[in-house]
Amino acid sequence: MFKASIFTSVALALGLASAPAALAGEYPDQPVTIIVPSKAGGSTDRTARLFTELAEKNYEGFEFVIQNVPGSGGQKGFEAIARADADGYTIGLNFTPQLVAHIVSGRAQYTLDSFHVMGNVAQDPGIVVVPADSPIKTMADLAAASGLTVAVNGIGSDDFLAAKQFESIAGVTFNLLPTKGSTEQKAAILGGHVDAAFMNLSQMIKQHKAGDARIIAMLTEERDANLPDMPTALEQGYDVQMRATRGFVAPAGIPDEIQSQLDTMLAEIMASDEFKANAAKGNIFLLPMSGPDYLAYLTDLQAQTQAVYDQAPW
Amino acid sequence: MEYLAIVFSPWALLTIFIGAFAGVAIGGMPGLTATMAVGLLVPFTYTMDPAMGLMLLGGIYAGAMYGGSIPAILLNTPGTPAAVATAIEGYPMSRAGRAPLALKTSVIASFAGGTFSVFILLLFAPFLARQALAFGPAETFLLALMGLAGIISIADENSSLLKALIAGVLGMIIAIIGTDDMSGSLRYTMGLVELYDGIDFMPALIGLFSMIQMLELAGQKSHEIDTSALEKEQKGEKLPRGIGKYMGLGAGTGTLIGILPGEGATIAAFISYNLSKRISKTKELFGKGNPEGIAAAEAGNNGCVGGSLVPTITLGIPGNSVAAALMGAFIIHGMIPGPDLFTEYADRTYPFIISLFVANGVFLAVGLFFAPYLARIALVPPAIMVPVVAAFAVLGSYALNNSVFDIYLMIAFALGGLVLKKLGYSLEALILGLILGPIAEGGFSQGMIIGKGSPWIFFDSNIAKVMWVIILALLVPPLYSYWKHVHKAGKAAG
Amino acid sequence: MQKKWADRALLAVFILMAVLLYRSTAGYPGIAQSTSAKYVRFLAVFIGVLCLAQLGFGLVRDHGRDILVLTGNRRRFLALLVGLGLFAIAFEPLGFYLSGAIFIPAIGWILGYRRPLVLGLTTAGVLGFVYAVFVQLLSVRLPGIEIF
Repeated sequence: MFKASIFTSVALALGLASAPAALAGEYPDQPVTIIVPSKAGGSTDRTARLFTELAEKNYEGFEFVIQNVPGSGGQKGFEAIARADADGYTIGLNFTPQLVAHIVSGRAQYTLDSFHVMGNVAQDPGIVVVPADSPIKTMADLAAASGLTVAVNGIGSDDFLAAKQFESIAGVTFNLLPTKGSTEQKAAILGGHVDAAFMNLSQMIKQHKAGDARIIAMLTEERDANLPDMPTALEQGYDVQMRATRGFVAPAGIPDEIQSQLDTMLAEIMASDEFKANAAKGNIFLLPMSGPDYLAYLTDLQAQTQAVYDQAPW
Repeated sequence: MEYLAIVFSPWALLTIFIGAFAGVAIGGMPGLTATMAVGLLVPFTYTMDPAMGLMLLGGIYAGAMYGGSIPAILLNTPGTPAAVATAIEGYPMSRAGRAPLALKTSVIASFAGGTFSVFILLLFAPFLARQALAFGPAETFLLALMGLAGIISIADENSSLLKALIAGVLGMIIAIIGTDDMSGSLRYTMGLVELYDGIDFMPALIGLFSMIQMLELAGQKSHEIDTSALEKEQKGEKLPRGIGKYMGLGAGTGTLIGILPGEGATIAAFISYNLSKRISKTKELFGKGNPEGIAAAEAGNNGCVGGSLVPTITLGIPGNSVAAALMGAFIIHGMIPGPDLFTEYADRTYPFIISLFVANGVFLAVGLFFAPYLARIALVPPAIMVPVVAAFAVLGSYALNNSVFDIYLMIAFALGGLVLKKLGYSLEALILGLILGPIAEGGFSQGMIIGKGSPWIFFDSNIAKVMWVIILALLVPPLYSYWKHVHKAGKAAG
Repeated sequence: MQKKWADRALLAVFILMAVLLYRSTAGYPGIAQSTSAKYVRFLAVFIGVLCLAQLGFGLVRDHGRDILVLTGNRRRFLALLVGLGLFAIAFEPLGFYLSGAIFIPAIGWILGYRRPLVLGLTTAGVLGFVYAVFVQLLSVRLPGIEIF
């Protein structure tokens, strides 16, 4: 009897609490969940939090909850976004090239059509880096040497794709060393255990400036403002371009008026000076792209990745 | 001096106190780890004053590393894998009514290891980080082997060495499930997306220790637990003489291993434990509740706190996953690890390091003060203890990756582990293989690539040669004494 | 079942697993052949040899007649196991708090605890503590009820 009453009271307390805060009304009438397909504290997570900080401050009625769904190179999170109810209360972040790499390798249950692409926010340009005392000083040196051990961050990553591109353009074959995460790459370069590595700018810019490692090329179409003296691979005669991007996507099929509200909010926040200042402070390189532009970029990237995969599947 | 003033301001002290206290509580709960807590709190510190935020996280890190030993000693449910070695000695002490002594040893050893490592961090960080860079994949493989040598020290004269080895290798085999890092292909995942990243060791740890312990408690014939030993517990039992030696051993080993890449704390605790058993004059007491083992293991895993931060803040190469999460906190405040941290941001970095001393002091005080009360946890009736710990086990398994799959995994490990345990296989060896297997595989595969297919890379550098000597020193004496033992038993039987 | 037979069956399973594992490495693609495949083959051979040795020793030396006993009280043991399974199943649809609020007192009661007040307070304490740590301190969202 007494036990039953405790049950009831506990259940009642919880039940009352569960009364839906949402009674039909204007959008949004409940918090919007942002699925981040990586661990809290990583660069994708920080990109999401930069956005929510300003969105909550500047847009009345909007509240965001960040849900980290890490694992399988982002695949778990991407799947969760694709599967989410298209009611405007769940959106998420994606990062490339993993988003398309999972499609290409046939592991993903989603396709690009499963998403409405809202726009890109941040990027991290690809770089080629060598140990500080390495005789390799240019991309030509890299192409001329033979039997080099080159570290990339896992198979199917942006580094891997860039290394494969370079191999086919320069007609060389690297002794490729896949690592678990950029930390291992960094340690291998700083300790001189490998001859070169394909990495991202944010991971090595400090070490380059301190003289502990040497970046020999940017893998972008134009020089990067963060390192204006560094020539691109293209300038050096090798058309290898790679960058990691991090943008917002939503499950496809959200009603238009809600979706356009979200898209506009993203574009406005990205254009604000406060956002730019916060990003600079947080070591995040911005690359704003509109939804259609970013979708075109993703489609293109998927075709490129497919080409690499067809040659050497993983 | 101005840095001291920052640390000893009332707000900073309160922050450190909250961090260290919360850390002890988090480390003490099965399933909650320092990695998770620091990772989740990093965004929270975004809005805090940078120095304060770092002090909070540092306090959690230091506290959680110690906190893991409390349930390990009292309930045989290590809160972190690094406390598994502590449980081997601590739980038998608890059962004999010596929990207060075990807890006291653990907190003092943790303090000693933690404080020593922070001294090293403060004084020699840049120099040591440079040296650590010489440590490549081949050496990482050898380090994993050194940790795995601990399997032999787990197997005693009374438990079968063969069975401990089988359990260890079984753990390593379970660990190969998932993505093959070398080719990117999937191995033995049975089409389950949840297995693409492999089996996380936390659900395994919770299942193999916390849950099995609860299943055994629930299945006890009599529910009148024998409290006679607990009630006549030796009040104020003094620390045994000469235990400082083991703490020193653990502190040195832990700090050194913490600086190196890989999941340092678990390896450090086991290697320290193993070494202490080698030099101990009371070897026969190991496995039956020897405070010397607790002292070495706890000083070892706390030594990793300062050690792991050495390469993190000087080079941006975190020594383990907690340090990696902590690095995220540095970066969101624009403090990119490197020389800048000691010049431009010195007014944040040094107070952070100094605050770690305070955090160590806080958990020492908390541990000593609460030890007598904590020891009484063992008196809680099993009928209350079991559902509460089980609920935490379920929650902890889930919360790591927000995955219900991990709850099922935890239950499966508990059931399978119980059968293995009853048949005399060592679960400590199993978890050690599960944790160190991926480190060994990564080091081996990368070493083979760097060596272009030649295994000589594992013998090439001077560091590697020294490590082989240590590995042999760890393996040969126990194998020899085991052989003698078996030989004698064979003669007696024949 | 007798302990020694259970052990022998287990070892036989391990040996079979070792053989299958060894054979599966032939299918590793590309670079994995000279790296991971070697590692996995080593593990397969090592555990196979160890298991054979243990099996041999067991056959020669182990004449014990001990019965394999997993638990001293089958009813309570199974109750906890089933309870855990139900907790896991209910975790996402019902959420942690609701299923926990049922699980803790129910298991306590089954294990023979008969003081509802203590059970209730304990349950409330655990749920409150989890709420404070997870939701307030770490801001993790647990599945289930929105307001939490």
